[in-house]
Amino acid sequence: MRALLCGILVVALALVGCAGAQKSNTIKIGWFGPETGDSALWGQAELNTVKMMADDYNAQGGIQVGNKKYMLEIVPYDDKGDSTEAVNVAKRLVSQDKVVACVGAQGSGEAIPVAPIMDDAKVPLVASTATNPKVTVTEAGQVHPYVFRACFTDPYQGKVAAYFAYQRLNKRNAAIFMTIDDPYSTGLAQYFKENFEQLGGKVVAEVSYTSGEKDFRAPLTKIKAANPDVIFIPAYYNDVALAAKQARDLGINQLLLGGDGWPSDNLISLAGKALEGCLFINHLDFDSAEAKPMRDEYKAKFGKNAELNSYMVHDALMMVIDAIQRAKATDGVSIQKALETCDIQGITGHIKIGPEHNPVGKTAWLIKIVGPDMKFQEKFSAE
Amino acid sequence: MNQFLQQLVNGLSIGSIYALMAVGYSLVYSIMNFSNFAHGSVIMLGAYFGFFALTWLGLPFGLAFFVAACMTAGVAVVLERLAYKPLRDRRAPFLYFIITAMGASIFIDNSVIATIGPTPKTFPPALLPSFLQSGAIKIGSLDVGRIDMAMFVITVICLVALILFIDFTRLGKAIQATAYNMKASALMGINPGFVIILVFAIGGALAGVAGVLYGMKYQVFPQMSAITLKSFIAAVFGGLGSLPGALLGSLLLALIETFVSGYISTQLRDIFAFCILIAMLVIRPSGIMGKTTEDKA
Repeated sequence: MRALLCGILVVALALVGCAGAQKSNTIKIGWFGPETGDSALWGQAELNTVKMMADDYNAQGGIQVGNKKYMLEIVPYDDKGDSTEAVNVAKRLVSQDKVVACVGAQGSGEAIPVAPIMDDAKVPLVASTATNPKVTVTEAGQVHPYVFRACFTDPYQGKVAAYFAYQRLNKRNAAIFMTIDDPYSTGLAQYFKENFEQLGGKVVAEVSYTSGEKDFRAPLTKIKAANPDVIFIPAYYNDVALAAKQARDLGINQLLLGGDGWPSDNLISLAGKALEGCLFINHLDFDSAEAKPMRDEYKAKFGKNAELNSYMVHDALMMVIDAIQRAKATDGVSIQKALETCDIQGITGHIKIGPEHNPVGKTAWLIKIVGPDMKFQEKFSAE
Repeated sequence: MNQFLQQLVNGLSIGSIYALMAVGYSLVYSIMNFSNFAHGSVIMLGAYFGFFALTWLGLPFGLAFFVAACMTAGVAVVLERLAYKPLRDRRAPFLYFIITAMGASIFIDNSVIATIGPTPKTFPPALLPSFLQSGAIKIGSLDVGRIDMAMFVITVICLVALILFIDFTRLGKAIQATAYNMKASALMGINPGFVIILVFAIGGALAGVAGVLYGMKYQVFPQMSAITLKSFIAAVFGGLGSLPGALLGSLLLALIETFVSGYISTQLRDIFAFCILIAMLVIRPSGIMGKTTEDKA
């Protein structure tokens, strides 16, 4: 009897062990992002988009790799917008779920600690909107072999913001209001400051707050006392809306300028009139012709507007699929090699991966808030 | 000087929100002798009730406010009946009350996240009356937000009404008596069960008002219960169980926080707040105006 039980146990364990093996004609691609928390809106938009894209491909029988067709399976995890959680889910994706590539990691705060994990596991990651340079290049200047991104980086964004503030808006005295514990915010603030001062401007106040904080009156009063002519707020849309409202309540009526953390369907409804006439930098023009097919499909399927992250993760997934098709292989190492020579036309612009695994010279779009709309003003492309 | 005055105004304004929350907290403590950690969740529910009364039911603002306060009073009483009364009947140690309070708080918060969702909501400015719109009023060289002004006034009205009620009405005296000694007041003919329900209802209504005001000033989101930590510090600082103490503690705490944030560093603000709490608990545990109760057996 005992021998029989042991036998059954051994067989059961063996079967459990086999369960992890990938079905031979499915490609598993992992996604992680904030399904809950402050950035939940963006995370959910990304998840909806990748699922929608996978469904579209699978409806046509899958993607063509060499002379075989593979179905796409998205393995999603919620990183709650927290860096520790992101590390945990990334480890799960590469070791338990055995995905061949990952997309997502929308915040630099989550992407940076995940980068070494992807390198170790030899699973490529294409980040959607993580813009801090440390996502693809370490402090020591080494490129993370397995990390890429679909967006421009903060040094570029900071340069563009400083250029717009100084040349186009003729501002000379800037104040900065940033999130002290978010590397995206502090990084972008730093690049803006360097470039603005290089152009001849002066940063009269640099004030910060801790994420999760809702009351900004004390730091905003400091900014008011410094009397700037423009206030740069490199933060996420939720905090931006709160800060803008509270600034107006304090009689701070200067122009507010922002980065790619601003664009969101909810930004204007949260801020009301406080952001009227303010400007920010975006990765694309939401009203462009290239974005229209996806925008319409998303609206029809989910009933709400696609967010910035939808378009970016769309291009990130396109990059992965293009790499798989060019490599004619479905393992992480081959996909990585192909990603290094990625050169595609995404819906957010021309994406040509450079030596630091970032798209080279990607266009930045300056958008102005006019009433309830976001109106395109000007675009900026280097190279 | 101007910045100093502006920061002073900021501090008083933030203090008025803390005061409204801390007073409800202290009130329950004075009767029940335990910290109702679920108070924050009730505040959060108040904000949501106010939001939905305004947007879904389309009630005029004043009525929505009143409805929110009534509903939170109801929630607080239900909470008392379901969670605390069974423990009281069983003469459970106070630790159990605190754990139950925390459990109730987690349950309420996550119920909201699971049903309504975690995305923050704002009170649509179009549905708010003009004295609550965004923008500043100029008083001399200071700018005071219109909303901040209104909140301060509403807080003062609520607290004055509360103090008048507690000090000058029979029910208020009954509450005071029960807070002082529940057994003796029961012997004098005061129904302790009724007083407890009344106190929770008042505390809940205040929480509702605080929630709606907070939701209007900032946003309505499920993690709002975290702000009660500040009101807890304020209540302890001023003296748990004492209503004037809660008010004083809140104002002082808010002023200290604002000045540290404005003149030293925003990051050090919470360190200062918590250090003060620790110092207070070590030096004078009963708080600034708390009753130093010793067992005079």
